Amino acid sequence: MSNIKIKSKNLNVYYGQKQALFDVNLDINEKEVTALIGPSGCGKSTFIRCINRMNDVIDICKVEGNIEIDGIEVNDKELDVVSLRERVGMVFQKPNPFPKSIYDNISYGPKIHGKGETKSELDEIVEKSLRKAALWEEVKDRLDEPGTGLSGGQQQRLCIARAISVNPEVILMDEPCSALDPIATAKIEELIDELKKTYTIVIVTHSMAQAVRVSQKTGFFHLGKVIEVGKTEKIFKNPDNKMTQDYITGRFG
Amino acid sequence: MTKEERLKKRHRSEKRFKLYGVASIFVALLFVLILVQNIFSKGSSAFMKTAINVEVFFDPELLELQNGASSDDILQADFFDITIETLLKAYPAKNLDEENELIDLFSTDAEIEIRKAFLENNNLVGKKINLEITASDDIDQLHKGNYPRDLPEDRRRISNFQLNIYDNLVESKKIVKNFNNYFFKNGDSRNPELAGIGGALVGSFYSILICLLLSFPVAVLASIYLEEFAPKNKITDFIEININNLAAVPSIVYGLLALQILLATIQLPRSTPLVAGITLALMTLPRIIIPCRASLKAVPPSIREGALAVGASKFQSVFHHVVPLALPGTLSGTIIGLAQALGETAPLILIGMVAFVVDIPSTPIDPSSSLPVQVYLWSESAERGFVEKTSATIMMLLSFLIVMNFIAVYLRQKFEKRWN
Amino acid sequence: MNLVLIFLITIFSLSLFFYGRSKTKSISIQNNIKLNALPKFYGYYLVLWCSIPALIFLLVWSLFEPVIIKSIIIETAANQGAIFNDKNEANLIYEKIKAIHLGTFFGDIDSILKESAISYAKFLNLFTNSKIVLIFGIVIASVIYSLKKIKNNNKARDDVELILKGLLFASSLIAILTTLGIIFSLLFESIKFFSVINIFDYLFGTNWSPQRAFVSDASKITSAELEEIKDAFGFIPLIAGTSFIALIAMLVAVPIGLFSGIYMAEYASVKVRRISKPIIEILAGIPTVVYGFFAALTVGPFFRQAGESLGLTVSSESALAAGLIMGIMIIPYISSLSDDVINSVPQSLRDGSYAIGATKSETIKQVVIPAALPGIIGSVLLAVSRAIGETMIVVMAAGLAANLTINPLDSTTTITTQIVMILVGDQEFDSPKTQSAFALGLTLFIATLILNYIAQRAVKKYREKYD
Repeated sequence: MSNIKIKSKNLNVYYGQKQALFDVNLDINEKEVTALIGPSGCGKSTFIRCINRMNDVIDICKVEGNIEIDGIEVNDKELDVVSLRERVGMVFQKPNPFPKSIYDNISYGPKIHGKGETKSELDEIVEKSLRKAALWEEVKDRLDEPGTGLSGGQQQRLCIARAISVNPEVILMDEPCSALDPIATAKIEELIDELKKTYTIVIVTHSMAQAVRVSQKTGFFHLGKVIEVGKTEKIFKNPDNKMTQDYITGRFG
Repeated sequence: MTKEERLKKRHRSEKRFKLYGVASIFVALLFVLILVQNIFSKGSSAFMKTAINVEVFFDPELLELQNGASSDDILQADFFDITIETLLKAYPAKNLDEENELIDLFSTDAEIEIRKAFLENNNLVGKKINLEITASDDIDQLHKGNYPRDLPEDRRRISNFQLNIYDNLVESKKIVKNFNNYFFKNGDSRNPELAGIGGALVGSFYSILICLLLSFPVAVLASIYLEEFAPKNKITDFIEININNLAAVPSIVYGLLALQILLATIQLPRSTPLVAGITLALMTLPRIIIPCRASLKAVPPSIREGALAVGASKFQSVFHHVVPLALPGTLSGTIIGLAQALGETAPLILIGMVAFVVDIPSTPIDPSSSLPVQVYLWSESAERGFVEKTSATIMMLLSFLIVMNFIAVYLRQKFEKRWN
Repeated sequence: MNLVLIFLITIFSLSLFFYGRSKTKSISIQNNIKLNALPKFYGYYLVLWCSIPALIFLLVWSLFEPVIIKSIIIETAANQGAIFNDKNEANLIYEKIKAIHLGTFFGDIDSILKESAISYAKFLNLFTNSKIVLIFGIVIASVIYSLKKIKNNNKARDDVELILKGLLFASSLIAILTTLGIIFSLLFESIKFFSVINIFDYLFGTNWSPQRAFVSDASKITSAELEEIKDAFGFIPLIAGTSFIALIAMLVAVPIGLFSGIYMAEYASVKVRRISKPIIEILAGIPTVVYGFFAALTVGPFFRQAGESLGLTVSSESALAAGLIMGIMIIPYISSLSDDVINSVPQSLRDGSYAIGATKSETIKQVVIPAALPGIIGSVLLAVSRAIGETMIVVMAAGLAANLTINPLDSTTTITTQIVMILVGDQEFDSPKTQSAFALGLTLFIATLILNYIAQRAVKKYREKYD
């Protein structure tokens, strides 16, 4: 049994008057892929945005309860979000490369965190990140071209490379393939499989097939509550809960 | 550098950056405050005028009038001698120089004011009345504390003798402050105590009215065409480019246009609200068309389709449904355009509205001034009294603008529908 | 007279509306036919036919009548032996004749003037009468035509809509006409100017002193005079002064405006934004003459005093005072435009940056601003164009003398100031001095046109990118 990396206890989230998460208790294991599934608006994205406190960006959002990473409380007001996010990277639904060159897209993170002092160090980080994201071969000759000029799948891998560049411990992925075609999706899934050797990955997905393919552990969310968590195989073959059963067999959602 | 030091540095730079933003906004707000405070402190005194209480004796020997004389006779009669007599009684003067200095304490309109008192009650012959005669600009400014009295005499506009009289009058409570009706009633004058914005107000009113009558219908029709009917072709593109550029052409260029076309070619009368109104209308037109089009565009296509689906023609769908919905936005854009036109100065200077006009215009083809041009004219004058008049004119101008903008915002917030 | 005519036409048109409406109704009932449009459209149809041709005719007539009468009168006066050397004198005589006719002329009236006044009255009468006759003719003809059309049960609605569409199109053409008017009026005088003054002497001359360019007779300038005025119209000091003041203004406005815009878009809470944004925009609504007054009477003297106490000589009409106040005027243009531009940068880019652990200011400086740059540059260019076209502040607070200087404490002059100075007061039309104002206007027009074009292109391109 692997170590628990992230642990949430009685997590409640409100958007203004509306409550989005109800007493979420969920453990995420280290160096494993955890998939979060559930119908739209069930709070999966809200949950992973709590892990790197991206919800701070939304004014009306209020978070109560605890999330710990390696035993350190994330919701602590004293905790520096900047260094938290250095440890917890994120990849979004729609690829969002910066309107800069491919090189600058990757070197941006190390630069602001002071990780690459010299040009050669930066070059090294860029190459390593792009290689890890399986993009190096495709772009090594055009690093100074704008990142926005790449295809959708390449853009998303660029964003993964960007997240890897600061060497995080956790990578959060918010439906990373929903804007991509099947071929690009397959590439990303392959990549996720490779990445889990180094990183703890939490992925939100709409596709149950994808959850089965990439994850070891799956959590099913419904209306802001965690209905069932367990090994992926168990959830999809033999769920305890009736609702989970209905969802994975496509009766609702 | 350790990780902690680095983080600290980054957070410091974050704070610094935020501070720049706060400081910038603060500077801008501070300037608004300074400007308003400056104008108000200089201008508020202009709404009062200083007057000197004197006793007028309508001496039958000096006045060739009988009790019950007709208004025409009174207007023809000479009140000069009685005026001089009255003013000289205000303080004992020993010689001709002193007498002149004494008379200089009063406004040059003293005679007219005495005549007016007689006109209102025409059986005053042989009687004495107390009358408050408007003081000269120098005394006015001295009394309002705008004029330093501790300068040496040769650098002061008021002599020691006049200061003595003033102090004496103050002591005997003969100096009063009244509401300055001249400021609203009179046209321009070389004497600050008599100068008013009456002419400029009427001139501005006519100009803006003409501007509204010309620009609003044309702007609305043009916006409707461009937004609803125009085919996508070169001519439409060209019209659009023209409108966008015209909105950014410096206003003085419109002055040159008016000078060449309206004055030199079709020879409309110079210095008149008519020409001013046409010029401002040309200038305001693109500035109204842009918000008009925006509010037409904001009406969702479903409204048009709904009307067309019940068999309305394109015209009926536009005029019965789209235009009424876009009206609040259109009106508020028009009011803001007019507010800009009201404050516009440069083109009006070129079409000769800087002429010195004493009379209040009765029609739009009489020579006239306008509020902003009056500000420009008076700010060039040397007399201290004009500084306060200029500031007060600005106060009037700004209050009109604030009211107009307020109406525009109100219209938009109250009546505009939000489409989601 | 014109008002009476317009009134009559209106009344007549309105009555035709009711007539047309009821007439078509009764026709349809009598003959039991279905109308091709609602009855009221037949009413509109009649109104449009009755009023528009007549009104257009009246407008055209009123525009040309004074010009035609004037040329006729001046010609007859000349035939009768009136002597005038140029256009100005002819104008003067014409004004005299008009005044005699109106009975407002008090002066010596000789026989020629008297004769001309009588013929002026005669022509005026003739023109008025023929105008009335013609207008009634047009009204009657167009009404008969349209009534005939109605009887045939035409598609009145389509026709009405076609005419209205023409009206809409004509309204939007006014924009083109205005542009043409501007170009025509600027070019007309500028061409005359450049036929006397070489365009290169104008563009590259370093001396601007139009007051020296006094010519005794503008229609025939002697070569000696030409030699004298040749180098009085050098544009360099004006463009230098204009750019200098605009530069000072931008040094004030760009940092303050940009930082306010950034703060409003990225940091300010809804409440702060709701209060401070309108207050800053007040700065854009204040008439420029108010800024001019403030600069000339408060800021200028304040700088001079402050300079004196530091031992500096500061002109009371310094470029610094004018530039500073102009900069403050421009702040809201930059702040609200850059606020808009920054707001339209997609949130996903910010999220991307925050997610790697960038602070807010790092995100703004390295992601948001670079993404918004074309839009920001566009807004700054628009502000520059506003600064060089701004008139009242510089007329009141900058100087009149065309000094070539880079000392901000000195006085300097601008293009717009010179236009105003040349055209205020007595103008000798047709003198190179007056024409030079139009040449300056043309230069200004072209300069702002280019700036606006580039700026609008930049902003538009930027918008398309993120829409």
